[in-house]
This record gives sequence, structure tokens and C-alpha cells, in this order.
Amino acid sequence: MRTVSIAVACLLLCACAPRRDTEPGVLLIEEKEQTASFIRNFNPLLEVGDVRWPATRSMYEPLLIYNGVTGAYVPWLATAYEFSDDHRRLRFDLRRGVRWSDGAPFTAKDVVFTFDLLRRFEALDLRGVWAFVSDARALDDYTVELTFRRVFIPGLYYLAQQPIVPAHVWSQVADPVAWTNPDPVATGPFTEVTHFETQAYQVDRNPYYWQLPDRPKVEAIRFLAFPSNDQASFALIRGEVDWAGSFVPAIDRIFVGRDRAHHHYWFPPIDGGVLLYANTTRAPYDDVRVRKALSLAIDRPLVVKVGMYGYTRPADATGLNDSYRRYRDDAAVAAGDWVGHDPARAARLLDEAGLTRGRGGIRRLPDGTPWRVAIQVPTGWSDWVRSTQVIVRNLRAVGIDAQLKTIDFNAWYEHVQQGEFGLSLGWAEPYPTPYGYYRAMMSSGTRKPVGEAAPENWHRFALPRADELLAQLEETTDPAVEHQLTAELQRLFVEHAPAIPLFPGPLWGAFNTSRFTGFPDEHDPYAPLSPNLNPQALMVLTRLVPR
Amino acid sequence: MRYLARRLMLYLVAAWASLTLAFIVPRLMPGDPATAMFARFHGKLSPEAIDRLRATFGFTDAPLWDQYVTYLGNVLTGDLGVSVSYFPARVSDVITTGLAWTLFLTGFAVVLAWAIGTTLGIAAAWRRGRWIDTVAPPLLLFIGAFPFFWLAMLLLFVFGFTLGWTPVRHAYASHLTPEASLGFAWSVITHAFLPAITIVVATIGGWMLDMRNTMVGVLGEDYITLAHAKGLAPRRVMFRYAARNALLPNLTSFGMALGFVLSGSLLTEIVFSYPGQGYLLIQAVRSLDYPLIQGLFLTITFAVLAANLFVDLIYVWLDPRARTRSVA
Repeated sequence: MRTVSIAVACLLLCACAPRRDTEPGVLLIEEKEQTASFIRNFNPLLEVGDVRWPATRSMYEPLLIYNGVTGAYVPWLATAYEFSDDHRRLRFDLRRGVRWSDGAPFTAKDVVFTFDLLRRFEALDLRGVWAFVSDARALDDYTVELTFRRVFIPGLYYLAQQPIVPAHVWSQVADPVAWTNPDPVATGPFTEVTHFETQAYQVDRNPYYWQLPDRPKVEAIRFLAFPSNDQASFALIRGEVDWAGSFVPAIDRIFVGRDRAHHHYWFPPIDGGVLLYANTTRAPYDDVRVRKALSLAIDRPLVVKVGMYGYTRPADATGLNDSYRRYRDDAAVAAGDWVGHDPARAARLLDEAGLTRGRGGIRRLPDGTPWRVAIQVPTGWSDWVRSTQVIVRNLRAVGIDAQLKTIDFNAWYEHVQQGEFGLSLGWAEPYPTPYGYYRAMMSSGTRKPVGEAAPENWHRFALPRADELLAQLEETTDPAVEHQLTAELQRLFVEHAPAIPLFPGPLWGAFNTSRFTGFPDEHDPYAPLSPNLNPQALMVLTRLVPR
Repeated sequence: MRYLARRLMLYLVAAWASLTLAFIVPRLMPGDPATAMFARFHGKLSPEAIDRLRATFGFTDAPLWDQYVTYLGNVLTGDLGVSVSYFPARVSDVITTGLAWTLFLTGFAVVLAWAIGTTLGIAAAWRRGRWIDTVAPPLLLFIGAFPFFWLAMLLLFVFGFTLGWTPVRHAYASHLTPEASLGFAWSVITHAFLPAITIVVATIGGWMLDMRNTMVGVLGEDYITLAHAKGLAPRRVMFRYAARNALLPNLTSFGMALGFVLSGSLLTEIVFSYPGQGYLLIQAVRSLDYPLIQGLFLTITFAVLAANLFVDLIYVWLDPRARTRSVA
């Protein structure tokens, strides 16, 4: 026994090896995607598969990067873009002197090849560009022209951010949909995979990077496998990662409080919003008074405080997050008086709609049955579960027998997509402009019949007037007209309340400046901080400086 | 030898049955992996691509019997198809990333727990009523009643986070590459220490109690009294006469426990970010990745079968009756 205890003591003592196993200049990144073992897959065109972070964030670069914080396009592999006068053709001027990581020059041939690849393999066309593009061709070595089927100004966003792959490598690949691209040849700042184990990997600098020798200053990026949020938070708190992008509970206390000089975070509310969706094909949710009453019953400040640790703000009635700030119409916001917490008014509206209280104080539906509703939330989404617990209490207070129902994510996703729910929490996809947001909220283009899977517009709502405004938005390049059309969309949304906005989603991002500086934050918002965004993370990666 | 041959036959039948079950169950499920994959591509795969994917996943329009033969052939050559959640990686590649680590960690921990627990049980039975017999079993059983992951989190917090004595994640330091060197081996041992201790501490009580109880029964047998009367050394009586006989039932449960511990260690692995099968299985179930689930269950089943076969071999060595019976 004694020998055993001596051995154990020895093991414990010797195990006190230095905990940080990094070299200077190597940036440690924690991404949202959690896994216990990494699979070597760097295929940038296959975002639906299990693709490693650097593929679209440090290896393959787009023509332009849309900066959600400043609302501007940043020139990247293209230095300029221009629409033809009839807006049917879009020209990109490519950057000269860019080379692939094997030394070959980057030219218009690569861009045309990439778009051509998306046409030949539809599964790779994740942004659906061939729905509005009819042709892609090179005018010369450094000019590319895309021809549109119809005028579709928002298409720039999808074309500009497409990762570009090298023609001389990818033309040899027989099936790019099932290719893991283990040794990438790319134009980005970090392309050389020098270490790849199931639990950690490292990508070194591209020797031919076009921003060298100025940028990047970071020498390599490294990733550790974390199977859950807890493990990731743990590493962040201990100072083992420099840049992180997952949710951390009570971050002021458990992270910033440990080292106020170096530990920082920035959670701007610019991610897609979180809304309470009511299925408008079902009674009583087809009645706008009912939807507004549901909204008035909800105590949003409490939802934000309890459900989201106060990381965001309560939504206004336009549902626009802060990345659409410059489009927000004050008149629409002022008219949206149905997002405050006013149970008395909610009750009045419900009485007006004929949903009066019956026995036990539970309201009756038009067919006379008690109003029972289960709000669906995916299992384990703790912020949504907490938010819904508050909402359930709020709804009960106005006489609705509401319940929280957690179900497996896959089943939940199927239900909302097919429209088989009464009330459900859900997200709104983030877009560069409110066009995409309102198209998801109230366009007949996104509304599908119940039973057919709809990627957006789960609540199944459409307005002919909204369709008209959206069609006009697709064709305008004049900012003044764009603002005016967007303002009218906001007023429509506020009038009809197609869905019930709860709060804009915060974009998670935290960093530790003890080894690297130059992260964006509210004082220097040159780009979004979150490492999860592609391709925006490229802007941050190239700006960081080792201490 | 006939005993061994009979056991071997039994294991072959069990292996075949589990293979067949793994073939049938996914085909009884609504939908197939190719359709799940199709959903991931938001309906943008061409019909030819779907057919190709379906063939990759082994779902063809061929008669079920032909599919079955192809499947058996594929499994025997180590081809388990393509994973849905790790697309386009192959299931065999995904599994091999974690299999060795899980086998190492659980194998190491189970053998350690069994060895320590059994030794303590022998000691407790030998010194009935002394402190080791009265204090250790209830204490260890009390600790063993905690779920694995809870113990794991507690140990991680105390020794890894607060005291900083042990590494807090992974199977070895992240800058190392697996190699046959002393430094790497040392890294593996220090990283496995805390997760292994979790499993050991949680299971040791059961082993001790089992062994103690059988041993107490054996100690009442006449041949023990005779051994004492012959004036044999107490140590010899304790190990060669009593413990060897008491060990037999304990050994059988060792084989069975392996399967149980394999499933329990999944949570331990997640707490310690250990790159084993634990996370893979949860990920596979979460994303309805049938090919991966099938592959993982097959490897787990085979690991348990192999362990039991090994136990049977030891049984023959420990119990002369198993040998003589086969001669007769």
C-alpha cells in the first residue's frame, strides 16, 4: 500500500508541468463548433459538412468582405466592383500580385472556375447564386464579369463572399462534394497545416500571402478540441485561449473579474434576432390582435435579464437588430406600441378578439375549447429554455394555459419548418440589409404550405404589399430609395405583427490581450469580434499583433 | 479444449447476431442516411448525386439478401460507410480517431479498479471486523453511488482547476505528436491519471464488496480449515487457497462490467475533453448519423465480446475443473 501511495504522490507532483503549451506568436482560437476529435477536412465549399474553421476564415478568401459593423464592403481579392448601367452585369476588378500558397498566380481564371464549379455541382452552391446569375466569364486576367438573369442588387452579397478556389488544383478533383481537401492550396493568411491531431491542430502562415510583410503579424493559429461549452469557457477563464466565440454565463464575474486588464468581451446585438413565432395558419394566431396581445403580455426586460444574462436588449416592434441600425425608422418604432409589458391591455385585446376567460380563468378559443398551448424549444438550449419559462408565466397571467415543451433539436427543426406548431421560439437569419429579414418575415416568396419544409417564414405569413416593396428593393441601388422602401416595410411589420420579436441575438466574442492585441471592441469597432463569422474573421486575423 | 471451442462458437454466434442487428435496425428506421444528408444540403443535391450517396451508404435497390452479403463483406474488410455528421469522412476513419483512446482509458481504469478492489476485498475478508472491513466498504460504496460525470467534474475542479496539479483536458499535451518516446508516454500517463481515477473511485467499492462476500463464504469451507490445520503459512492460505477460488465469480463479472464501464466512461471523456468515443456517440445520436451509430455499436460490442473471451481464457487457467471437464 505504501508504495502505491508514494507512486500516486509522485505522479501528482510531477504532473505540475507548465500548463500553457504554446509558443509566442501562435494564436489560440476557440470556435463555436464543438467537437472532441477533429477530422481533417478543409473543403471551403462544403460548409454543411464537418469542415474545419480555417477553411473559410483563414485559407480561402472571398472577393469582398461585408463588414456588418460598418455596413460597408471591404475590398479583398477584388479591389473594386461595378454594376453596369442596366444592373444586369456585375464586374469585379481583381487584385494584382496575389499568389496561391503553392506560388501560382491568382487570376480571373480561378474566379470563373469557382463559379463554374458551383454550377456543375449544385450541392456546393450554398448561396444559390446560379438562381440569379446566368454567366460568369473573364474579360481579361484581372477582370471578371457576372451576368444576371434579372436585376437583383442583393445578389452582390452572395457573389462577393463566395470563397474562391484555385483552378489548377480543383480541376483535378473528381468529386468536390466528397473531397476533404487535406492539404489546402489557398490565398489566405494561414494555409500551411503543420500539425494535425484529433485533439489539436495548427495552421502556419502562407509564405506567399499578399498582405505580407505588413500582415499578418501572428505567426500561426492553433485550435484545441472542446466537446462542450463548459470546457471552452474553462479554457478561456484559465487564459488558455486568446480569442473565443461561444456563450459564457455571467462573463463579467467569471471571466473579466479574473484579470480586468487583459480579459475583455464584446457582445454587440447584431446577430439574427430571437422571436416568438405564432403559426398564422391556425386560430387564434391568424388574428393580429391576438399576436399583439401575446406580445404585450411578455415582460421582455425580464426575459433578457433571466434568459440572456442581460447580454442584449429587448426588441423593438420592427424586430431589427443593431446591424440594421441605419435603416431603423423612428416613426415605425414609435408606432410599435405592442412590445411594452402591459398585461391589462393584452387582456383587453384578447377580450375584443372574443377569447374570453372561461372556467378556471382560462380563455376559450373560438371553438369553445380552453386555450392550451405548448411553446416548443429545442432541448438543451438553456438560454431559450429560461426565456420561455418567463414567457410561459407571462402568458398564464393573462389567462392562456401555456406550457414549455422541450424537444430534440431535429424534431423541433422539422416541426417549425413544416409549420406543425402553435407557438415556438425561433431565430431570424442575419442578413446584410433588412431586405432578407423582411423577406423571411412576410413575403409570399418564402411562405410554403403547411407540411412542406420552409427554411424561413415558419409562421407562414405574407402580404401582397410587402412583395411589391421587396421586388422594388431588389432593383434599387439608390440609398435614399432603399431607405424609404425599408421604412415602409418596417411600418407594415409593426402594423401586422407577423411574428413577435423578443430580443436581437448577441454575437459572442471574448478575448485575452495578455499575448495579442488589436481585437475589435466597442472602442475600435473595425469588424465584428466573433471568430465564428466567415469570412469576417479574416479582417481580425490580419489585424492582430503579438505583444 | 472443448470448453474453449464451445465458448469460441458462442462468441462467433453473438458477433454475427450483433452484425445482423446493426444491419437490420437502420433499415427499419423511416428515411435513410442519404435522405438525412439530402436535408443537410437543403435539397440542393441532384438526383444522380443522391443515388451516388445512397450507394455510398450501402442503401441500393438490390435485394435485401445481396445488400446483406455486401454489408458483411464490407464490415469484414473494415469498411463501415460514410458518416453523415462528419461528411465526407468515412466512419472507419472517424472511429479510429477515438477507439484507441477509449480502450486505453477504460481498459486501464477497469483493470486498476478491479485489481485494487479485489485486493481490498481479500484483505477485508481476511481481517473480518477490523477497520478495513467496517470502514472501507460503506465509504467506497458511498462514493461509488455518485454518477461518473459528477465525480469527474468535482475532481477536475479541485485538482485541475483550483490546485492546478493535473492537466485539465485531452489525452496528451497538444503540441506533441504521438510517438514512441518517454516524453510522450509521460504526457499520456499524466493526462489519463485524473479521468482514470474517476472511474476507479466510482467502481472500486463494488469490486471490494463482491470479493469480500465470496471470500467470506470460501473461508468457511472445510479445505481452508484443513489448510490451516496443516500449518500452511497464512499468506499462502489467503491467496492460493481462498482468494483463487473466490476470484472465479468475480472474474465473470469483470468481463460483463467492461461493457458497463465503456458506456459510463463516455461522460468522463466529455468532462475531460478526452478524444475517445464518448463525444462521437453523443454527436452521432444527436444528428441521426446511423452509419456512425452502427459503427460505434459494432466496435463496442466487439470490445466487450473480446474482453469476455479473454476472461474465459483466464478462467481456464485459474480453474482446473474447466480444463479437466474438456479432457473427459
